[in-house]
Amino acid sequence: MIIIGEKINGFIPKTLEAIQNRDDDYIREIAKKQADAGATYIDVCAGVEPDQEYEAMEWLIDLVQEVTDTPLCLDSPDPQVIVDMMPRANTVGCLNSISMEKNKCEVILPAIAGTDWKVVALTCDDTGIPDDPETKFKIAQQIMEKADEFGVAHDNILFDPLVTTLGTNQESMVSFIKTMQMIKDAFPEVHITSGLSNISYGLPYRKAINMQFLSLCMYNGMDSAIMDPMSQDMLAAMYATEALMGEDPFCKGYLTAFRNKLFGVKR
Amino acid sequence: MATLEDIAQAVVDGNAKKSKKLAQQLVDEGLPPLDIINQGLMGGMQEVGVQFKANVMFVPDVMAAAEAMAAGVEIVKPLIEAGDIQTLGTVYICTVKGDLHDIGKNLVVMMLEGAGFEVINAGVDVSPEKIVEDVRKYNPDIIGMSALLTTTMLHMKSTIELLQEEGLRDDVKVIIGGAPVSQDFADEIAADGYSPDAVAAADLCKRLVGAAA
Repeated sequence: MIIIGEKINGFIPKTLEAIQNRDDDYIREIAKKQADAGATYIDVCAGVEPDQEYEAMEWLIDLVQEVTDTPLCLDSPDPQVIVDMMPRANTVGCLNSISMEKNKCEVILPAIAGTDWKVVALTCDDTGIPDDPETKFKIAQQIMEKADEFGVAHDNILFDPLVTTLGTNQESMVSFIKTMQMIKDAFPEVHITSGLSNISYGLPYRKAINMQFLSLCMYNGMDSAIMDPMSQDMLAAMYATEALMGEDPFCKGYLTAFRNKLFGVKR
Repeated sequence: MATLEDIAQAVVDGNAKKSKKLAQQLVDEGLPPLDIINQGLMGGMQEVGVQFKANVMFVPDVMAAAEAMAAGVEIVKPLIEAGDIQTLGTVYICTVKGDLHDIGKNLVVMMLEGAGFEVINAGVDVSPEKIVEDVRKYNPDIIGMSALLTTTMLHMKSTIELLQEEGLRDDVKVIIGGAPVSQDFADEIAADGYSPDAVAAADLCKRLVGAAA
């Protein structure tokens, strides 16, 4: 599983507070903890107003790289900010995100063509986030045409089919899985990820929904998640699912994670 | 004999079939159509609001209740003269320019309709210029703007500024909502109100038009 650790994001109120107060220690701490919990990438999103974004992003990137070698996932609503931050990263990482909105593909895809940088691709466009798998798939096809045009390897694309909230749409996961399968059938080398905590928005006891969603989607081919790796429940669900799927010989991954106290520890 | 309490309860239970059936029964029993809507159906929605605030009911409950209310209204509405339907006011609502996230906004629409407002749902990605044009066209009492992104929330500010420039600001109240938005931000851009959720948004609109929340 490709885990994108989501904690350093200005859309999370506590993180935003730390960003606004330039709380170095807090950012270092959640960077380190996510890395220790096995994040493949550490997402960095300032979530501040555009005129402050460059400075905030640079500050965040430097702090994360002080405490860990885990690659970054550079995240901004503004594709130019993302591309401008790439030289500051010590290692090749991931970009978050492209879609068929405005010029996102045109700005970001040329910057990663021929490199090992990965990119998250959202199935939305200027008209919005479609509800149905067919329209989402059409957008995925358009994005892949752009990827081919700019020469970006399919393996470097992580599609996020944008799960809707279960509370407002009870077909949410079913539709997500259908979209994912259409994409995987057409483009077998791409990865599928999900900013999955959206699914439980507005419902009580969210972790139950998040955990089952993770498991069911993994079983149906999802191989990445944008999530909080510091959550023991989510990590346990992930390792358990991998083992249950027969992809973890001798349950080694599950057991190693347990021995490393990634879950099953009273805190 | 069906009662207004029964139909209110059907709304709270999110039982559209029952709400529809009770609406017909109440009509047949000769109850005034306006009472069926205002006391029965909207009464139920009000209770839903209370329970939502208390974390007893959740978003899907609210949606089911809105559906049940709509099913009842459908029966009763044809019996009411157009001029007799009293609305609390007109609310124009949209997500701002560049923002496609409309789940929250759509919940607000449901709650406002449930509370007795006339709602003009202008959809997503609506520019300040379009909002100004629509304000001239529809003359709403309140504009509700939603944004999920820190980049797009700035269009709330530019919309308020444009309303000011066009001399429309005093004619309309402006309220805002969405994940990155706060009361502080509302104060900063001189909006008339902020609401953290759909139920509170309906209360806020009631206060702004001078109806008891």
